Amino acid sequence: MTAVASSRMRTAAVAIVAALPPLLAACMGPLPQPLVGLNQRLEAAGPARAPSLAGDWMALIVSRGGRDRVELVDLQRQQPVPLPGLERPDAQPLSVAVDGRGERLALVRQLEGRTELVLYRRNLMALQPVPLQPPGVPRRVSLRADGRELAVEVSRQGQWQVDLIAVP
Amino acid sequence: MALLALLISGCGSWSWGRRSAGPVGWGSADRQDPALSGNGRVLASVVRRDGRDTVLLQEQPSGTVLPLRHLQRLQPHRSPSLSWNGRYLALLVQEGPQRRVVIEDRATGRLHRLPLPGSLVPDSLSLAPDGRRLAVATEGDGRSRVQLYDLTALLEPDLPAGLPVRGTPGEAR
Repeated sequence: MTAVASSRMRTAAVAIVAALPPLLAACMGPLPQPLVGLNQRLEAAGPARAPSLAGDWMALIVSRGGRDRVELVDLQRQQPVPLPGLERPDAQPLSVAVDGRGERLALVRQLEGRTELVLYRRNLMALQPVPLQPPGVPRRVSLRADGRELAVEVSRQGQWQVDLIAVP
Repeated sequence: MALLALLISGCGSWSWGRRSAGPVGWGSADRQDPALSGNGRVLASVVRRDGRDTVLLQEQPSGTVLPLRHLQRLQPHRSPSLSWNGRYLALLVQEGPQRRVVIEDRATGRLHRLPLPGSLVPDSLSLAPDGRRLAVATEGDGRSRVQLYDLTALLEPDLPAGLPVRGTPGEAR
């Protein structure tokens, strides 16, 4: 090996070693941070599932006292807000979605032996049934952040379909 | 107020505009797990492709399929969730025996992985439209739980057009 080649190899090795720390940092990257305070409050609230985030709001289904219920959490205040007129003790929520203002919630629930899709407007404290045309059985629902459209997974004659429904 | 609520609850189907999510293609008609971007211009759903549940990203209302870079061999896909403009797609994927939470940044092509404590198995997720938070529902240790994560150190915000971006990643909490 010539002196020139040996020098080039040393230079390359030094360059590789110098580049390792930033390369490793890039590989690791910043990691998502658990929101500890909120997570502790959620943990204390009971078993939970089916979260939906938008703006400073999170809707989810929480089990308490053997019953599933919809909760809407104000993430800034780290507190659930009341949802008068939404809950029925005989209803089983399956899927929930919230818009970015925390104003509209779309909900799929089982009630009296059937599965239905409803829209809840918090400022009116009112539930509005969302009819499916043609009829079908809804399962999961997603709501646009601006609250203007629903995407609903619907079973019809053994096939899963997605309906897009504009909210009036 | 009560009268207004009654009137609203009595509205019939005439007031609801509907449209189909469009054909799935790929020889499958089943479409599940829908998620709309915040502005409604992108729809994610899960369809069966070559026998594997695969996320499908489509512009709306045209139905044009949008490409994804990293997810081809990570099926089954579950629980897709989109940011405001559809820049970020968060979902559950399968890597070997592990079900993992990942976020594909469609602008940069990067794939971000969200590590979870070993005993927790992710069941569903929701990405905040601005990309600043992620909620993950998990099963493990004998109960289901929802945990929230701050993504501001990881992702640029994905905001509606015209909204100012305040602060830098890591500051906007």
